[in-house]
Amino acid sequence: MSKRTLPRLLQTPAVLLLLVWMLVPLGMTLYFSFIRYVLNSLRRPEWTSPSLSNWRGFGNYEFVLKSKDFLLSIQNSLVIVCSILFLTVILGVLIAVLINRAFPGRGIVRVLLISPFFVMPAVNAVLWINMILDPVLGLQGITVGSINDMVEGLRNAPLVGWFFSLWPELTPISFRATQTSALAVIIMVTWQWTPFAVLIFMTSLQSEDQQQKEAAVLDGAGPWSQFRFLTLPHLGRPIAIVVMIQAIFHLSLYAEIEIVSRGNGNKNLPYLIGEFANNNIGAASATGIFAVILANIVAIFLLRMIGKTLME
Amino acid sequence: MGRIQLENVTKSFGDVEVIPPLNLTIEDGEFAVFVGPSGCGKSTLLRLIAGLEETTSGKVIIDDENMTEVPPSKRGLAMVFQSYALYPHMTVRKNIAFPMRMAGVDEDEQEKRIAAAANALNLTDYLDRKPGQLSGGQRQRVAIGRAIVRDPSAFLFDEPLSNLDAALRVGMRLEISEMHNRMQTTMIYVTHDQVEAMTMADKIVVLQAGVIEQVGSPLELYHKPRNKFVAGFIGSPKMNFISGDEAAKQGAHTIGLRPEHTEVSTTEGLWKGVVGVAEHLGSDTFIHVHDTGLAETFTVRITGDIAVRHGDTVYLTPQAEQIHKFDTDGLRIV
Repeated sequence: MSKRTLPRLLQTPAVLLLLVWMLVPLGMTLYFSFIRYVLNSLRRPEWTSPSLSNWRGFGNYEFVLKSKDFLLSIQNSLVIVCSILFLTVILGVLIAVLINRAFPGRGIVRVLLISPFFVMPAVNAVLWINMILDPVLGLQGITVGSINDMVEGLRNAPLVGWFFSLWPELTPISFRATQTSALAVIIMVTWQWTPFAVLIFMTSLQSEDQQQKEAAVLDGAGPWSQFRFLTLPHLGRPIAIVVMIQAIFHLSLYAEIEIVSRGNGNKNLPYLIGEFANNNIGAASATGIFAVILANIVAIFLLRMIGKTLME
Repeated sequence: MGRIQLENVTKSFGDVEVIPPLNLTIEDGEFAVFVGPSGCGKSTLLRLIAGLEETTSGKVIIDDENMTEVPPSKRGLAMVFQSYALYPHMTVRKNIAFPMRMAGVDEDEQEKRIAAAANALNLTDYLDRKPGQLSGGQRQRVAIGRAIVRDPSAFLFDEPLSNLDAALRVGMRLEISEMHNRMQTTMIYVTHDQVEAMTMADKIVVLQAGVIEQVGSPLELYHKPRNKFVAGFIGSPKMNFISGDEAAKQGAHTIGLRPEHTEVSTTEGLWKGVVGVAEHLGSDTFIHVHDTGLAETFTVRITGDIAVRHGDTVYLTPQAEQIHKFDTDGLRIV
């Protein structure tokens, strides 16, 4: 047995597993995307089973490209991912820096801060859309309603009444609407994933060199300069990690979109795949291939960015 | 200028008083070394002067100005840390420029000072590297460079050489001494290494448990230690302490005898003992003698070489005028 045989033999199970796990689904998706394949058709019953005789070429891709939701879903995928990344990183850094200082009850505060991360995505979405964002029964509706009532009452008050009569009546926002459903998804996922960012940044902050900070204090750096020139560069690597992991997860958001608006005005690629998959497996597979391409483009950008920070 | 006075300075962490009331004056241009065993409060004292720790009570006075409540950056002091505390993501140039950038010094002036500091510290070729690409000695020089460009009234060094290997330590020791001779700026240097203290200091401050045991020039401390602690701490190898009959003969509770102040002979002498370990360094020989009846081990240092080995019998004779006498409280008897 040559020197290389044994290591290769030992690698084989992992490689085989990877092949089966990844290449088989990818191959099937590719295959389905080039044939006519539907789950149910009374008119053309031969399309209901996958077969090469139903070859459609790039027909499924054309169909997907021409469908009215395709561009919206690409755009939404990117908007949702980028917004969530932006918000979670900024909030994560701010909260992590805030709770890095010692204060009474810090342990409890930390546990509470992490807890949203343990809520299931679907539960998270139901809680937010019904209990918080609902324009009538949710916290939003109640708050807007009571502000309106208060302003209404103060309009007739002496002296200050004229000031409040200038105020417009506030209308609550319906987050299930076409224009706002993406916003609702961004808000609830940001709430859920900020703890993840906080957790990663917090551990990183604890490894920050205190002598460096003291040196900076002696060098005349104020709190802002210390944050800008020491803490932020120190967090470069964890930020890159948070961005990468979250991008992977948020490109495949589904439950939140389904629960908020059932795709009304807000679809991303996974949701579009889901819609096609109700019947048209061919189109769903073609969309899946588009999703793979999009994910790869995002991954290349992210790896470049992260590679840069890691090299520094 | 850089005259630093501590007036009745105390420091407590919670209920633990690490520095009881302490008074000390360091004159302008002086090289003062705080030396003592680990945990004696020497670093805390330095941090109190720098302003990184707040005094519990008492005053820190720099150039006749009360600086007790003044923030660290406004005290005009520069500090070099044990871990160098360089900013890892900045180049050497930016590291050195950082204090000037914070102070709003204009770019041309910054460049000029960086060039001067880099030149003085042999860092010119490394200005565009990151600290991670430098050796320990070079990092230490960058840290010193960062201190120099601020043109401080005093430099504070917190065990700056402890992370370097022995050879480099000797080199850096010389460089810092030369820097002091050239700049004539006040320097306060904290170390646990009495060799560093002896070789560099104008004034040594020996500390134990936050209390100043003695302040004086290196040779003063060597020849006239005020008590047993200082006598044992200064000098290498350590002073031998003998109590009991031999001490009583000299009219003291304890007598101390430095290893280099004892004659050794293989034939005759006052005290007889057996060689435990003989360390032959070529220039010197350290002999650890057992079974003298004086102390468990009696260390002798002689210049040059002597042919003794483990198990040999040797005779020791003290140089009578070099015997240090201490009373029951460990204080020197004059």
